[in-house]
Amino acid sequence: MKKNLGLVLFISLAFLLSFAPNLCAEVGVTDTEIHLGQWGPQTGPAAAWGNVARGTGDYFKWINDNGGIHGRKIVYHMFDDGYNPAKTKAGVKELQEGTGMFAWACGVGTSPGLAVRDYLGKKNIPWVGPAAGSLHWVNPPQKNLFAVYPLYHGEAKALIHYAIEEMGKKRIAIAYLNDEYGKNGLRGALEELEKHGMKAVAQVSMENKDTDLKPHVMKLRKSKADLVLLWTGVGHSARIVGISKAMKFAPQFMSTSTTSDFPLMMHITKGLWEGVITATLGELPDSGHPLLEKYKKEVFEKYAAKEERWGVFYYAGIIFTEPMIEGLRKTGRDLTRENFITAMEQIKGFKGIGPEVSYKPYNKNDMYSRQGGSQTFLVQCLAGGKYKKLTDWMDIK
Amino acid sequence: MIDLIQMIVNGIAVGSSYALMGLAMVIIYKTSEVPNFAQGEMALISSFIAMMLLTSLNMSLYLAFFLTFVFAVLLGCFLEFAILRRAKEPNILGMIVITIGIEMVLLGFVSWKFGADQKTMPFPIGPYDSFIIGDIFISKLEVLTLVAAILLMGTLYVFFKYSKLGLAMKATQQNSVAAQIVGVRTNRILMMTWGISSLVGAVAGLLLSPTIMHPFMMWDPLLKGFAAAVMGGMTSLPGVIIAAYLLGIIENLFGGYISIEFKTVVAFVIIVLVLCIKPSGLFARHYIKKV
Repeated sequence: MKKNLGLVLFISLAFLLSFAPNLCAEVGVTDTEIHLGQWGPQTGPAAAWGNVARGTGDYFKWINDNGGIHGRKIVYHMFDDGYNPAKTKAGVKELQEGTGMFAWACGVGTSPGLAVRDYLGKKNIPWVGPAAGSLHWVNPPQKNLFAVYPLYHGEAKALIHYAIEEMGKKRIAIAYLNDEYGKNGLRGALEELEKHGMKAVAQVSMENKDTDLKPHVMKLRKSKADLVLLWTGVGHSARIVGISKAMKFAPQFMSTSTTSDFPLMMHITKGLWEGVITATLGELPDSGHPLLEKYKKEVFEKYAAKEERWGVFYYAGIIFTEPMIEGLRKTGRDLTRENFITAMEQIKGFKGIGPEVSYKPYNKNDMYSRQGGSQTFLVQCLAGGKYKKLTDWMDIK
Repeated sequence: MIDLIQMIVNGIAVGSSYALMGLAMVIIYKTSEVPNFAQGEMALISSFIAMMLLTSLNMSLYLAFFLTFVFAVLLGCFLEFAILRRAKEPNILGMIVITIGIEMVLLGFVSWKFGADQKTMPFPIGPYDSFIIGDIFISKLEVLTLVAAILLMGTLYVFFKYSKLGLAMKATQQNSVAAQIVGVRTNRILMMTWGISSLVGAVAGLLLSPTIMHPFMMWDPLLKGFAAAVMGGMTSLPGVIIAAYLLGIIENLFGGYISIEFKTVVAFVIIVLVLCIKPSGLFARHYIKKV
């Protein structure tokens, strides 16, 4: 009996030990794999930004083909949320609780991101580089969330500052999308105007589904604005500029980095985007920047789908995940979420093809402990969708 | 005053696309009493086919549009023949659910086949080319849409009132059993109705495509067209046209004078009000079966 009991205990122990590596390992990490997730609108009103998630996927393939990270390959799980927060939440929960993600990368949109921010925060699941410059990611900061995208709030301030100081504009109107994305830009613009003792001559909001924007443009025209700041979607911005032209209303237009893919904007406005000034978040496609050229040759040309286009939105998917890869490399072989977060906090002055990125140890009173990117520069659209650099990288803290 | 006139002109301009979509819905409703929620996506797929013929196959505009219209008619006939006719013991609710299913399948197909990136269709008239009369502007494309809507409405009115096929369609709607007894092949009539409706929807889609194309481009026109159809009366062709223009004007005046933020919901408030006050619509004379 005693002999049998010993045998049973031995077999049970051996059986349990066979699971030991998995029991001790972090969710989404095995000896050979790291599971990373991302949502991205491949359909729906924000589909123009769908290539962010595809750019990330190609970048990860390149990382894998170049040896992976400390002997592990990235397994990338991307799903289409259609820019619908309900779908984002459902998709993230399904992947997280089904397959198990180690961390989440990018994710387009303020509203979709807000739908999962608290869920990821409560479980302390790392999320790096939300593809939106919202204050909601870092105000207050969350231990698990590392922002890369410069804040819309700061972008708007930089644009308005340039409009007043460099262009001498006196009557500034703001057209914005009536959601958190639009309101982030609106708040920044109003703050900067107030700093200069000015007020917006018109604030015109619109809904995501609005397609008839003539009443909105009439309001802008009535304000006699000499500059209109657009904090809207790609389609809305194109329509406003087009209808304004038709109404012979010709202010200077400025817009957010989300419309800085000039070849795309020139295509859908049939050339009317020329002259528009935007902020931007990465090196320019035709800048000849060595690292950007390397990505074009080794990532885009090798892995991108045939119909994919090399542009700002595509390589934004790389910009937002470069610090994540840096963090994974710094973490080393012992990859746990805690170790990864500690390694991310050690990133200082990291420069890829986007803004310089720095984090600090978590401090609930310092949003810059988690807001890594705080630089932008302004560009103007020229004929043929070419870029004219108006400023150098500037700090927008 | 200039602003008021401009808002009315804007309302008429945008009302044309609502009118075309509303017309397409009413044509099917007149014969089958089914609101077709796949109408927008039927127009969508036709528009993307035109885009493909123009850009990938480099066809001339006239040929591409002609082939698109043929495709639209065949698509409508096919959907009725292959899907709706196969429904077992169909009731109105079941048919509505089937049209919603078709809508999702077509939307998914367009997203998969043509991608979700925003595009524009090559067209001789630019979406922002406009006529300026004094201080009032109207886009040339919207004038074309207005002309197309009026011509189509006139043609359809004459068709339903005087042609044999049109009368057969009317008879099928009013009493399909009686129509069958007098020799009307109601199945065939229903199939043709879907074909004609699909064609009208395709005209709306093609006239919207030069501005911006993406898989969700027909949602707003469909909803507004449906609102116009409810407002005008689901069985009245002139009613839906008048209601569509009224809706466009009300939306613009509301946005201009009351609240731009709530402009989008005006159409839905109208649907609710009309359904509460006069469910048959403002202009329809609903056929009532008498004992």
